[in-house]
Amino acid sequence: MWPEGSSRVSLASGQEVVLRPLVEADAEALHRFFVALPEEDRLFLEDDVTQRAFVERLLAEKQAGQAFTLVAEQRGEIVGYGALYRPKYGWSTHVGRVRLVVARAWQRRGLGSALLRELVRKAQSLALDKLVAEVVEDQEGALRAFQRLGFQKEAVLSDHVRDITGKKRDLVILANDTSHIWEHMEALVADFEPSAG
Amino acid sequence: MRTEIRVGGLGGQGVILCGMIIGKAAAIHDGKHATLIQAFGPEARGSAASAQVTLADEPIGYPYVRRPDVLVVMSPDAYTTFVPTLKEGGLLLYESELVVPGNGLPAGAKAYGVPATRLAEELGRRLVMNIVMVGFFTATTKLVSYEAARKAVLDSVPRGTEELNLKAFEAGYSFGIKLLGEEGNRVA
Repeated sequence: MWPEGSSRVSLASGQEVVLRPLVEADAEALHRFFVALPEEDRLFLEDDVTQRAFVERLLAEKQAGQAFTLVAEQRGEIVGYGALYRPKYGWSTHVGRVRLVVARAWQRRGLGSALLRELVRKAQSLALDKLVAEVVEDQEGALRAFQRLGFQKEAVLSDHVRDITGKKRDLVILANDTSHIWEHMEALVADFEPSAG
Repeated sequence: MRTEIRVGGLGGQGVILCGMIIGKAAAIHDGKHATLIQAFGPEARGSAASAQVTLADEPIGYPYVRRPDVLVVMSPDAYTTFVPTLKEGGLLLYESELVVPGNGLPAGAKAYGVPATRLAEELGRRLVMNIVMVGFFTATTKLVSYEAARKAVLDSVPRGTEELNLKAFEAGYSFGIKLLGEEGNRVA
């Protein structure tokens, strides 16, 4: 059900990375990527990504069509990961949830934005109306990256997150209404106006 | 060679856009000549909408469609209104879950149906049913090439909606190709 394909993107630094869907053969490289994340980055992640079971779960979710998972690759190594989740049932099948992780050495180079842009594009192709992302208040870089691509703060849940040191932090819910792009299409197909014949 | 096409349906179904994309495909990407006229006249009253498209290898002097070679209908009213004008031996393309072709088809006319609304809904947006229809038209009439129609869809839809519109085009195109294949098998 998920669209396939890969693309090569040039970052502001001049470096090129390949963005492509996750495949089973990536398991080892993806595990290495998560294990290599510094503790201060893992501090704000919902799951213990260093567990091999986490990668297995990502692959299973992809296989089950629950998530579109994208990796950023350079010279055979994974340097970024992004996922788009879409509920198959229930009252929010029009809402996608995105997650992003970028290797420390690749942060502040536009890779997060490139991954996010690709996820937004996928969301649009899947007719999703809204995207949400959860960011811990202290992740200022991530907040900026999301806001640059049209995400806005929609809610703040106080003390909602207990990080790996045990400290409680606020969780920011960001949302991006992607349905507006269809307003132009609606205008195009509204051929009942007298002036349109 | 000159081919006259009438597209009819309800306002909001994207009838005019459907006609415009067919014309664009022929004139801009296939190097033919094309004209488009949006419905003026009694049939345009109420919520009805229709488009007249003429395709030709030569410049078109008279752009009005009186007896279409191909009639594309997306609503029962459009079928009732326009089917008497379809040429003998012409082709009717219809939205198969909204239109039930009955009496009135001229002698020798062929009729192919596509559940365009359902296919569009399965993709997530009913709004793209007219693009499904463009794909179906492309597959069943061969009046415009696949590449030209695909490019014309891309040229005509808003930014950000391209991928879903292309999926809609492919859904209609595949449905048409499959339908023609099944018909070919039956004849064989």
